[in-house]
Amino acid sequence: MSSSRLETEHLYKVFGRRPGDAVTRLEQGADRDELRDDGSTAAVIDASFTVAPGEIFVVMGLSGSGKSTLLRMLNGLLEPTAGHVRFDGDDLTALGDRELRALRAHRISMVFQHFALFPHRSVRENAAYGLSVQGVPRAERERRADEALALCGLAGWENAWPDELSGGMRQRVGLARALATDADLLLMDESFSALDPLIRRDMQDQLLELQKTLKKTIVFITHDLNEAMRLGDRIAVMRDGRIVQTGTAEDILVRPADDYVASFTQDVDRSRVLTAAAVMDPETHGDEADCDCPTATPDTPFTELCALSARLSHPVAVLTEDGELAGVVRRQRLVGLLGDRQGAAEPCDSPRVPDRAALTGGKLTARA
Amino acid sequence: MPRIRLGDRVDDGVNWLVGHMSWFFDAVRTVVEGLYDGIYAVLTAPEPLLLAGVLAVAAWWLRGLVAGVLAFAGFALVDSMALWDKAVSTLALVLVATLVALVVSVPLGIWAARSKAVSAVVRPVLDLLQTMPSTVLLIPAILFFGMGVPAGVVATLIFALAPGVRMTELGIRQVDAELVEAAEAFGTPPRDTLLRVQLPLALPTIMAGVNQVIMLGLSMVVIAGMVGTGGLGGAVNEAIGQLDIGLGFEAGLGIVVLAVYLDRMTGALGAQISPLGRRAAAKARTAGTAKLRNHRPSPAVALAGVVVLALLAGGLGVFGPSAQTGRATGTDVGRGKKITIGHIPWDEGIATTFLWKELLEERGFDVTTTQYAAGPLYTGLATGQIDFQTDSWLPVTHAEYWKKYGGQLDDLGKWYGPTSLELAVPSYVKGVDSLADLKGRSPEFKGRIVGIEPSAGMMGLLKDKVLKEYGLGGGYEVVDGSTPAMLAELERAYAKKEPIVVTLWSTHWAYSDYDLTKLKDPKGAWGKGDGVHTLARKGFAGDNPEVGAWLKDFSMTEKQLTGLEAGIQRAGKGGEQDAVRAWLRANPGLAGKWAPVAPVTGSGGKSGANGVSNN
Repeated sequence: MSSSRLETEHLYKVFGRRPGDAVTRLEQGADRDELRDDGSTAAVIDASFTVAPGEIFVVMGLSGSGKSTLLRMLNGLLEPTAGHVRFDGDDLTALGDRELRALRAHRISMVFQHFALFPHRSVRENAAYGLSVQGVPRAERERRADEALALCGLAGWENAWPDELSGGMRQRVGLARALATDADLLLMDESFSALDPLIRRDMQDQLLELQKTLKKTIVFITHDLNEAMRLGDRIAVMRDGRIVQTGTAEDILVRPADDYVASFTQDVDRSRVLTAAAVMDPETHGDEADCDCPTATPDTPFTELCALSARLSHPVAVLTEDGELAGVVRRQRLVGLLGDRQGAAEPCDSPRVPDRAALTGGKLTARA
Repeated sequence: MPRIRLGDRVDDGVNWLVGHMSWFFDAVRTVVEGLYDGIYAVLTAPEPLLLAGVLAVAAWWLRGLVAGVLAFAGFALVDSMALWDKAVSTLALVLVATLVALVVSVPLGIWAARSKAVSAVVRPVLDLLQTMPSTVLLIPAILFFGMGVPAGVVATLIFALAPGVRMTELGIRQVDAELVEAAEAFGTPPRDTLLRVQLPLALPTIMAGVNQVIMLGLSMVVIAGMVGTGGLGGAVNEAIGQLDIGLGFEAGLGIVVLAVYLDRMTGALGAQISPLGRRAAAKARTAGTAKLRNHRPSPAVALAGVVVLALLAGGLGVFGPSAQTGRATGTDVGRGKKITIGHIPWDEGIATTFLWKELLEERGFDVTTTQYAAGPLYTGLATGQIDFQTDSWLPVTHAEYWKKYGGQLDDLGKWYGPTSLELAVPSYVKGVDSLADLKGRSPEFKGRIVGIEPSAGMMGLLKDKVLKEYGLGGGYEVVDGSTPAMLAELERAYAKKEPIVVTLWSTHWAYSDYDLTKLKDPKGAWGKGDGVHTLARKGFAGDNPEVGAWLKDFSMTEKQLTGLEAGIQRAGKGGEQDAVRAWLRANPGLAGKWAPVAPVTGSGGKSGANGVSNN
């Protein structure tokens, strides 16, 4: 596992009395509500995942799902009740307080939901905070802080105070503070949730832009699936302390692990996420690509597929770069994905001639 | 319910502490006294107005020009009321108490903020300390630390500790948890989290706590005056003890000036030293226009001003009032030896105390007199803090005190007596000549007998014995109060010619000022009457053989005593010693008789009397 930057293995966190016993019971299959009756709260249950270097790993879940607790075990702010966190070969659970602090000062940094800027320090002093903990001399840490601020688009604001900045700018300071220490691992706890939608989009774009050059390993917590889809190379969905599914945005959308995940994906704007490769049917009959109709490639976005499909009377053929047929996309499937549920077509108990139905004035539309 | 003897346990505990922990109390005492003496010496070195100037510059820097001018005016007023030394002594006391309170309370508050267990223990203890009536703590404080400043500081401290601890804890707990987490997330060690994040952000709240500590300390000053801390508190106590409304008001006003100054300054200091406060101030300055009244000197200018004034002050102090004036006379028996006389605010006590102060000073002793309530006075004598007192009514009136402390005191004998205790009515109340006549006339007197301090022996006697003997228990209620309050009530009723019954004793100047009828006691319920004794601490007579001999031989006639008391009453507060001198001049020979200078030099006993006429 030396290739992975960050790895967790059967991680548990239980608050309350006798947490050790609670873990044993959870391992034997007890559920969260049984434990709650005994006065302990299982915040994270059996979480295992691996985050590759340079990857943005998003943990998504509603409030109370345990995602913030999980994040705080990744940098040792909370001690796991059971299980291991390994980062670059170090087992965090085996480290002492002092070593953990050194790790947090140098290699892991964090961005907070409500920015957590120190109101009694200027923007520059805030950005340089991690460096001052490391004991970097003043001149150097100010230079590096200014660089990080410039990277986040805050050049010229070094001498301002946090209370003079807007929400988005404050979070840029928070981001600059986390970047200034040159940590490899960035933990972001609902970092954009407190911002209004437009600014949030800006910040997401900026994070993706920065990530292209910085290639940090990022664990990003959010309750917003759209944000998870935009940012995440891979996404873990949490529910009641457990990770119910880990996968790419497409996996989550197209192959939800259970109804819970599926219900989550209802409101997602699929057209932004899905591509031909995700929706095509790879079982082909060999006769689809023999016409001159327009075709798609595996990377063709969902919206373009819809446009193509509307113009064609048969399924859209998906060709690879070499011109090989990779699969076909059926209109039925496209329409199903726009709705909230897939599955086999249900037979109709009183089939009608489509033309007549259209003539009788919108009855079909009403039934659909 | 069974009677739980909790009080006995407390007594035992206090005795054990006095017996076994004296090294600790002595150490505390030395530290506190050292601090107080140091601060007092620094504050009294400069001329009053110069120090007022220094304080005013500080006010200008912290709050602006108006505050500076008002501060100077306030301190100038204190000086003009001749209360400067007392005010500075009070200021030093409060500063020491605040300093010690902060040294204790800020760490305790931090600890309580970080540990729920500590917080759970500290809270009820603070509640106990803060709500326990402070006078209850004063007597143990005397037993542990002796009379004077240390006991006062400790009493003030105990009272003022609570807000310091509470506000520190609150301030730290109030700091946004996300900020603390952010500090930890960047690997800040716990100590740096405290020093660099929590304390700076909690500072405004902590400063509010400091402000509270100072204010509570000042409000304790008056109560602490009862244990002989002197200062404005002592002045207030003496003034109200002797019904001197004017002086009480002046001293009270002095406390107000100090309180307002310290309150405003600590408030502004909080804004100056806390980073958030500075930030807010900077914002306000850029928003508003600069006006003269808002102008503040920069810290450098202010500091320079203070230093210049302080140097000037220190320089003048060297040549100024520090030159001690010694009274060199041929009758210098004492050679500057210190003697402390305590007294209760009873007239014969005041009269003889100042009589002996004058006599002993003439003979070269350095005499301090302080007024106390009876309880602290006896405690002070028993612990050796006070050398002697002249106003002990034995065997009846002060029997309780004698029972408790008699073994630790030397009785230097009776100098006056027998006294008599009685109830008295104004002579315009007709038909009441004897205690028996009061029966059935209670509506006329509104059912009240105006008494004095409930701790006084005669009050117990009156309630337990006299009223029963004459069957007055049902019709009359004895009103507890104080001697001055009783006298004020008598004066008010006398002016309006209203009927009133008061407790009095002979001899008392009231009999010469008002036309009063002593109610006869045919059944002898009041007892035979006391002698007024002089009591000294154990070993005083051995340490000061001459003074011991003089006090043992001392006696006064009723004519002498009433004459002296009336003279002092006419001279008013502050003029006691002048009245004594005038009276001694009018009665030549008495000084020589009471305090003969031993004929070591062969010049004969007469020279003592000559010494007096030097004045």
